[in-house]
Amino acid sequence: MEFNGDALMIDTDMSMEEIIKFEEFIRPRIDFIETIEVEEGCALKSSALLSILVSLKKTRPKLQIPFLEKGLSIAPAYGTIHWIYHD
Amino acid sequence: MTKQEQVKAIFIEEAGEIIEKLDIDIIRFEENSSDFNLLNEIFRGVHTLKGNANAFGFTRLGEFVHYFEDVLDYYRSTKEDIEEHNLELFVESVDVIKEVMTCELDAIDTLPKSYSECLEKIKTLVSIKKSKDISLDKQNDVSELIDLASEFGFSEEPENILLKSIKAHQAIQDDGLNLYKIDLTLDVDCYKRGFDHLLFIKNLAEEAKSIESFFNMQNVETLDTFKSDTNYIKNVEIVVLTPLSYENIEEFFEFLSEDEYSIESIKPVVVKEDEPLVVNNKSIGASDDTLSTSTITQKSTIRIDTLKLDELFDSVGELVIAQNFIAQNEKIRSVEDESIGRTIDTLSKITKIIQDRVMSLRMVAIKDTFEKMKRVVRDTSKKTGKEVHLVVQGEETEIDKTMIDSLSDPLIHIIRNAIDHGLEANADERIKAGKSREGKITLKAFHKSGSIVISVSDDGRGINKERVLSKAIERGIVSGDENFTDSQIFALIMQPGFSTAETISDLSGRGVGLDVVKTSIEKLRGKIEIDSKEGEGTTFSMVLPLTLAIIDGMLVHAAGEIYIIPTLSVVESFRPEKEIVHMAKGKSEFVSLRGQNIPIIRLSDVFTLETQRIEPWEGILVCVETEIGRIAIMVDSLIGRQQVVIKTLGKSLTKLKEVSGGAILGNGEIALILNVDELRPLIEVPHG
Repeated sequence: MEFNGDALMIDTDMSMEEIIKFEEFIRPRIDFIETIEVEEGCALKSSALLSILVSLKKTRPKLQIPFLEKGLSIAPAYGTIHWIYHD
Repeated sequence: MTKQEQVKAIFIEEAGEIIEKLDIDIIRFEENSSDFNLLNEIFRGVHTLKGNANAFGFTRLGEFVHYFEDVLDYYRSTKEDIEEHNLELFVESVDVIKEVMTCELDAIDTLPKSYSECLEKIKTLVSIKKSKDISLDKQNDVSELIDLASEFGFSEEPENILLKSIKAHQAIQDDGLNLYKIDLTLDVDCYKRGFDHLLFIKNLAEEAKSIESFFNMQNVETLDTFKSDTNYIKNVEIVVLTPLSYENIEEFFEFLSEDEYSIESIKPVVVKEDEPLVVNNKSIGASDDTLSTSTITQKSTIRIDTLKLDELFDSVGELVIAQNFIAQNEKIRSVEDESIGRTIDTLSKITKIIQDRVMSLRMVAIKDTFEKMKRVVRDTSKKTGKEVHLVVQGEETEIDKTMIDSLSDPLIHIIRNAIDHGLEANADERIKAGKSREGKITLKAFHKSGSIVISVSDDGRGINKERVLSKAIERGIVSGDENFTDSQIFALIMQPGFSTAETISDLSGRGVGLDVVKTSIEKLRGKIEIDSKEGEGTTFSMVLPLTLAIIDGMLVHAAGEIYIIPTLSVVESFRPEKEIVHMAKGKSEFVSLRGQNIPIIRLSDVFTLETQRIEPWEGILVCVETEIGRIAIMVDSLIGRQQVVIKTLGKSLTKLKEVSGGAILGNGEIALILNVDELRPLIEVPHG
């Protein structure tokens, strides 16, 4: 996890412990982050990451999360995964 | 090869076939973009490719075909007219798929520039179409949308993507594969219990041919109440195509409580009893609006290694030889017992049936190869700016699979050549010549005297004989003293280094093509004939044997041996009058036939055999067509025409260039198959 200007870079293969730490990190900073970029080099490790990204988007709709907005992820280990989060 | 490597090899083969079919179908679709059955067919191919690509880690290919599938899906579900530039994009996309596949196979990191450009165009098209679709639907049919979406809990897509996924998986469901829809509704504390949706998907994916899942994230709360270790995912629908049984699938979820998952086995689509599942565009997708629950009736096929087919074919060859040996054995024939005679007849009939059936296993219709040529015509037409109309005839003609594979390149070259050089430079030139604006290329396959002929004709300028001859003299290919027939002059254009093209294009005209084409066809034991009329057009005919494993030969007696002359080369046979046989320089004999001096070849001279020398008028002359013109092979007598199984000769005999192989005859004797192109007269005789 690192900052690149106003963008926060995170990895897809975060474990549950890392996701909890990420949650703790981002809660106080959500208003200052413009974009969350997800490095797609690895496959998703936990569905909880998807959940927190959706939660962040719902909390602050202006937040840009291109990975989430794509609506899908393709990885050899999981096939094609789609997600729908709009109300 | 490990199991993983074997599976990967199968994937690569399948993917190659899918891409090859896409290449053909996309051109057919471009010709008739209202054929939505064909669009469904293309969609299914792309969907299968996506699943396979992702399963083997070819994610770049997977991503591209995913978006391409989206576009295709939009058009097939809306049946909206496809704009011309978007049709062009479809064709371009298939090209990119081919290129990316090569990159994936060769593990090349850098993708071609066209990849990102084309992907961007597709993404843009998807987003334009989807936004338009959503707004239209919102205005026109909100209630329908809500009904459909609510059924599966999604509200974003006008057509439910889960339903689409199931249909697409049904379409690719082969024998031995089961389709399941699994609904995962894990409890809020699942993470604390050590479970994760992705864990189940990963396990299933390891045993799946294709898997697609849909996460419903609508219940995820805002950060105020959110906790990472709490599950807010309402449900995950998984569509999985796998060889596993229902019980095997259940085992994956044995540690979950019963209310946390449900497995539904989806039955394959119904196909009417007399309709094949694949092949015909109309069979699937035409009325697949509902998921079927009936059982399937489909043509059963298995994939067999062609090496195994070759081995089977060899064995049948041995069987034919053994059967002939019995049928022609004097000792057996001398037994005066009717039942033995009948048994031998029955054996002979059964052997023939087996031979024919095994032969038919190797035979495939030339249709697919012809379909590929549509693309060649289209691309060449665009590159040259010439309007071309392609006419295809006899595409159901069957040909040996081994030959099909080697036939594509020569055909491509001849077609490009026909468009680039055969047709007039532009429509004005054609109109001046009293022809239609559009040039015509005719691709034809047919049987002729036990051979297969594949011809490419154009209605263009035709070949200028004088120009060809003068060019051949200029290039030193011929001396100019010869008296050539028209076909011999036309054949000069296939000599290495020959080119009459004034400008060299990237399509043809380098003079290195047609000789390669000729060599390729000769390797298939075939030949090329050219027929042309100036101002009317040219026809290139590739005359090929039915199969590479069997040759149709004329069996002859010469110098105490039996030889086989390929019937394809035989023009005529006759006993000459003494008056028409002449001697050149006291050494070489020739026969004057209809104004042509044809050299006589004695096989005893060729193979240095000691035999009683007879005069040509005491024997038979078999006139054959060769590369250097006609020759007359002198034989003692003709035995007859017969199909023989070709056997390769041992190392010592392979040096004998006058012989192309051997065959075991019914009586157990071995006969040599003559390579007539290598039979040379002692002294060259002027043909005129």
